[in-house]
Amino acid sequence: MSELLTKLGIDWKLLIAQIVNFLVLLFILWKFAYGPVLAMLEKRQKKIEKGLADADEAHKKLAESEEKQKQILRKAREDAKGIVENARLQAEKSKAEIAVEAKAQAEKIISGARIEIETEKAKSIAEIKSEIGGLVVAATEKIIGEKMDERKDKELVEKSLK
Amino acid sequence: MNISIAAEPLFHIFSFPVTNTLVVTLCISLIIIIASYILKNKVSLVPKGFQNIVESVLEALLNLADSVTQDRKQSKKFFPLVATIFIFVILTNWVEVVPGLGTIGIREELHGKEVLIPFIRSGAADLNFTLALALVSVISAQVLGIAAIGVGKYAKKFFVSPFHKPYFVGTFVGILELISEVAKLISFSFRLFGNIFAGEVLLTVMLFLVPYFIPLPFLFLELFVGFVQALVFSMLTLVFLKMAATEATH
Repeated sequence: MSELLTKLGIDWKLLIAQIVNFLVLLFILWKFAYGPVLAMLEKRQKKIEKGLADADEAHKKLAESEEKQKQILRKAREDAKGIVENARLQAEKSKAEIAVEAKAQAEKIISGARIEIETEKAKSIAEIKSEIGGLVVAATEKIIGEKMDERKDKELVEKSLK
Repeated sequence: MNISIAAEPLFHIFSFPVTNTLVVTLCISLIIIIASYILKNKVSLVPKGFQNIVESVLEALLNLADSVTQDRKQSKKFFPLVATIFIFVILTNWVEVVPGLGTIGIREELHGKEVLIPFIRSGAADLNFTLALALVSVISAQVLGIAAIGVGKYAKKFFVSPFHKPYFVGTFVGILELISEVAKLISFSFRLFGNIFAGEVLLTVMLFLVPYFIPLPFLFLELFVGFVQALVFSMLTLVFLKMAATEATH
């Protein structure tokens, strides 16, 4: 057995040296390489995952805000339509009202004017009547050339009244 | 040309033989340690250069471990041992293709003959190296099993009383289990040793026969073999660890 081992070059001193060598290497790699590198890999993976999730979130938010914007625009358009319609109705209403009022006003003015004209006319006629009376008297006096006495006057009046 | 199964000692420190494989593995270890130390100080969230290479290798290994264990937590537990075996073995295997392998060395008088003792000999071309790794691998699987269910229960896997239900069959299976653990050691160490030692011999012979161009395809072949053997060694370790962990839970 021991001869076989020597023939194969197995030497317990070297064997132990190799085992120790490997264990030291294992320990150092564990401490220096695997720990930091694996931690870094994990960290990077988490970061990338987070970045992707964030991008998704941002996409969703963008779509949401776009939808909201659209909704607001739609609502504003509807509101504007309503306001315009309202204004139109109001205007129509006030137009009719103004027309009615104007008509009434005009009628009132016209009727006022008519009454005034009537009274003026009556007044003028009365004035003219009295003036004409005077003038007739004066003219008749001139034509006749003499002052009429009471009797003649009466006679003349009666004659003209016949 | 001298081909020796055992690694040749370059010199002795007292009675401790410093073989060429020991020197090579120590150099490789030193390179890995320095590289990892540099990496540790430069590791950053945005990888560049060297960190990229290390990360891609480690990530590939981790994913491979995941495909075996189906469990990230367990993969991470086994990962340091498996990855260290892979990196260490692949780098020592690739020492094979370094120029000067088997040709540059010191001439020594041995058994009345003058033989060349090369400075460079790939680590796995020495049974001490492969057996050491196999021991670490198999023992860590045993330790994992013991840690999971305790020494007493774990021992029952190998030592079954012949007076209970399956009687002698159970005992026999237990002995077989024990033998299979030893067989693991042998298969682990001799597979790697055989492949790499054969590769080395092949390369040396080819270099002696046709010095130019013809050895090139064999160099590529040896690069591939070195990679495959490192992968096989680390994956088998991973599988044995996984088996020990699952057996313990059942």
